[in-house]
Amino acid sequence: MIKKLGLVILSLTLLIGGCAEQKLLEKIGLITLAGYDLNEDGKVVTTAVIRQVDPEFQSMVTTSSAVNDSSLGALTEINRKTTKKLMQGQMRITLFGETLATEGIGSFLNTLSKNSSTSSGILLAMTAGNAKELLEYPYKNINDVGQEIYKLIEQNVDAELVTSSTLHEVSQDYYSVGRDMIIPIIERKEEVIEVTGVALFNKDKLVGQLPAKDSFYLLLIRGKFKSGKFETTIPGDIFSSNQSDSSEPVPVVLDTISSTKKLKLTDKNVPEFELQINLNGRILELDAEMDFDNPVEIEKLEKAINQSLTEELKSILDYCQEINSDVFGLGKQYRSQVRNSKLTHESWHAKYPTAKVNIKINFKILRSGVFE
Amino acid sequence: MSNKFFKNMFKKKESKQQAQSDSSSLKNKSINNHSHDKKLISPDKAKFISLIEKESNNPSDLKTKFITEDYTLFYIENLVDSRVLNKHILPVVLKNPNSSPSELKFQLQIPEANMTENLELAILELFSGAALIHKNGYPTVLLAKINTRESRSLSAPENESQVIGSQVGFNESLSTNESLVRRYIRTPDLYIKKLTVGKISNTTVSILYLKSIASEEMVQTLQQRITDLKIDALLDSSFLAEMIDDNSLSPFPQMLLTERPDRFCDGLLNGKLGILVDGSSMAVICPHSFIEFFQSREDQNLRWPIASFLRLLRFSAVFLSIFLTPLYVAALTFHYEVIPQSLLVPLSESRALVPFPPIIEALLLELIIELLREAGARLPTKVGQTIGIVGGIVIGTAAVQAGITSNILIIIVALSALASFTTPSYMMGNVIRAIRFPIIILAGFWGFYGIMLGFCFLLIHLIKQSSLGTPYTAPFYPPRWVDWRDSIIRLPLPLTNLRPTSSRAKKRKKYEEEPIDPEKS
Repeated sequence: MIKKLGLVILSLTLLIGGCAEQKLLEKIGLITLAGYDLNEDGKVVTTAVIRQVDPEFQSMVTTSSAVNDSSLGALTEINRKTTKKLMQGQMRITLFGETLATEGIGSFLNTLSKNSSTSSGILLAMTAGNAKELLEYPYKNINDVGQEIYKLIEQNVDAELVTSSTLHEVSQDYYSVGRDMIIPIIERKEEVIEVTGVALFNKDKLVGQLPAKDSFYLLLIRGKFKSGKFETTIPGDIFSSNQSDSSEPVPVVLDTISSTKKLKLTDKNVPEFELQINLNGRILELDAEMDFDNPVEIEKLEKAINQSLTEELKSILDYCQEINSDVFGLGKQYRSQVRNSKLTHESWHAKYPTAKVNIKINFKILRSGVFE
Repeated sequence: MSNKFFKNMFKKKESKQQAQSDSSSLKNKSINNHSHDKKLISPDKAKFISLIEKESNNPSDLKTKFITEDYTLFYIENLVDSRVLNKHILPVVLKNPNSSPSELKFQLQIPEANMTENLELAILELFSGAALIHKNGYPTVLLAKINTRESRSLSAPENESQVIGSQVGFNESLSTNESLVRRYIRTPDLYIKKLTVGKISNTTVSILYLKSIASEEMVQTLQQRITDLKIDALLDSSFLAEMIDDNSLSPFPQMLLTERPDRFCDGLLNGKLGILVDGSSMAVICPHSFIEFFQSREDQNLRWPIASFLRLLRFSAVFLSIFLTPLYVAALTFHYEVIPQSLLVPLSESRALVPFPPIIEALLLELIIELLREAGARLPTKVGQTIGIVGGIVIGTAAVQAGITSNILIIIVALSALASFTTPSYMMGNVIRAIRFPIIILAGFWGFYGIMLGFCFLLIHLIKQSSLGTPYTAPFYPPRWVDWRDSIIRLPLPLTNLRPTSSRAKKRKKYEEEPIDPEKS
């Protein structure tokens, strides 16, 4: 009896097994990139980069776009134009047009996070201007736009030139109180695509932009900074041995070996913060004569670098406060240090513009390069 | 609470003693097996001859020779050593025509000669190569054991080759095999227990173990299982192993079949029991856990980091062999999301030409590989190799060019077939290859979920098994942490001084350190 029952269950499960939805690799079109824009009527324009495989054409990449009220609705629209069923599982990048970002991308983050077939490791980026235009431009040297943009951003994230903007990290900022999200901005310059800056958000709306070189300072405050290279300028008159005209600023290229960051709330009423950053680094390039064996000289140089870094940080902080985007996570620190603060996004952003941050930077030169 | 504990302890002791007394009674039983309804030997010459002819059905190779008026000799031609018969038996009998059989026994210069009154025993010995000497008027018969047996000379084990280590394998002769074991383990502790199995074949089966190490209860169990067998013939030890396995229905072997005397002795030294079957070149070692099937004797001969590396390689090969093809099928049928981007293009390009769904494609190719292997195994060595190579290349290349399979699948299938051949036990290697098929089918139906289902089913099945009453999946489940040192890795010898828990050896330590003399130091 039990054996018979087992047999019935086995045969039933095998029959039901046929009901599992098959997604045969060669029968689906893979969306590798999706770009979202907002048109004049307030509708979403979705542009998808689709990779399809056909025995005759081998592998080919096409872009296709549709207009609809919602992002998933537009996908269905695009599906009507393709021979293969479109799937999002291999999507690596989602782009947002500038107008859409200004309106808010919260609902898109929500949809992406809920989609079980897309990983939380997909990268987000904003296009300067329209995403559709950037994607549909007939590039001469780029075969697969989706792959190209993915590699571009991934490489820059690995080199610590821009902040990592995976869906996981961005939605963490979006859903938690006290830190606003940032995503990189890409732009088409003639035939190439490049990372041009960082988009700063207040909740889910674009409020400001910073040039790409400033993303170093954002990285420095937001998290651990390990291997990035950065450039700053110091006044030329600190070098005693410098014969050339000393008033011009001198560029220095530095390379950090390690950094530690300490953020502390010192006064919760203002609120006032103390930001202490210790950096160990080496000098890669210095456009001036300098005696590196002299500790006094080095101390002078360190001081000058500290000074310039502090000034730059200060100006970025001021800008962020002006546009009311707390990308540094001051609110997080406030929330963790003030008991029963019951901080909400609104209440924090009422305080944030008037917050005071005392910046202390301690840069140490460990190495000055080796002559061969 | 404590009272109960002690009671239990006493109970255990009692049961152990009982087991021991049981074993002695069993021994007696096996010796006196043939004396149940005794047919006695007739003292009368003519009567005895007719009795022998009747009982043995008078086969054409039964020779009856009248040496003197009173002495009659019976033997089976070709089973006895005619040289010994002519040189050592006939002259002695002729010289002492008047001595009784019992006196004659001491004059014969042969290794073994017995007296018996039992006709059945006499007939049995006659057919295993003894010469019967009967004297008119005496109710006993002299059994001169001068059997000769044609056997293959010792050669290297063909199915279990190893690079470093002894290159000798068992052959089909029980006495040669026993002597081989004796040559490895020279101690009176090595105990050989003989049993006869098979109503028709009357095959001798020896149980070997080290008396001071092996567990009595286990010997008991094994002996019980063998004597309880009701079969007509036993032609090979693999048959015996299947019959006395804890679960004969499982595809997994629970006793190790080996043709290497060193592997056999290794088992005995670890407190396990060995079985040798007359006429079979494979010895049985039990109990044997699942993990031990993937350990090679050679691991002990290599340095420990290398041995550990090879073991890890072998274990990962098992997983690769079982799960690689199912993973391919599942990923291409259901889970395109997990395919790395760099692999996506070549994979989908090679798949685009194939007209079948991945499951059919995979089953087809696996079937081809299995066919090649089976054909190679059945054909003579030289032809088999050629067929293997030619078949592999021709079918492999042609299948891809014809667009029946993708070339990535060919690599995967070849890899998993190769991986399954790394298992040192042929029996286990076959199982590993066979259980892949249901998992491929599950993967084709349900994707990763199906693979997980198959894996769980496999795991539950393995955990359920036992080998001679000891857990099959030890030392992992139940966890025996100490035994992990010699499981998927092999730590240096001083750290693997303990015999495996599952063999229930009486002495846990392989060697005791000698106590240091305090006066000397």
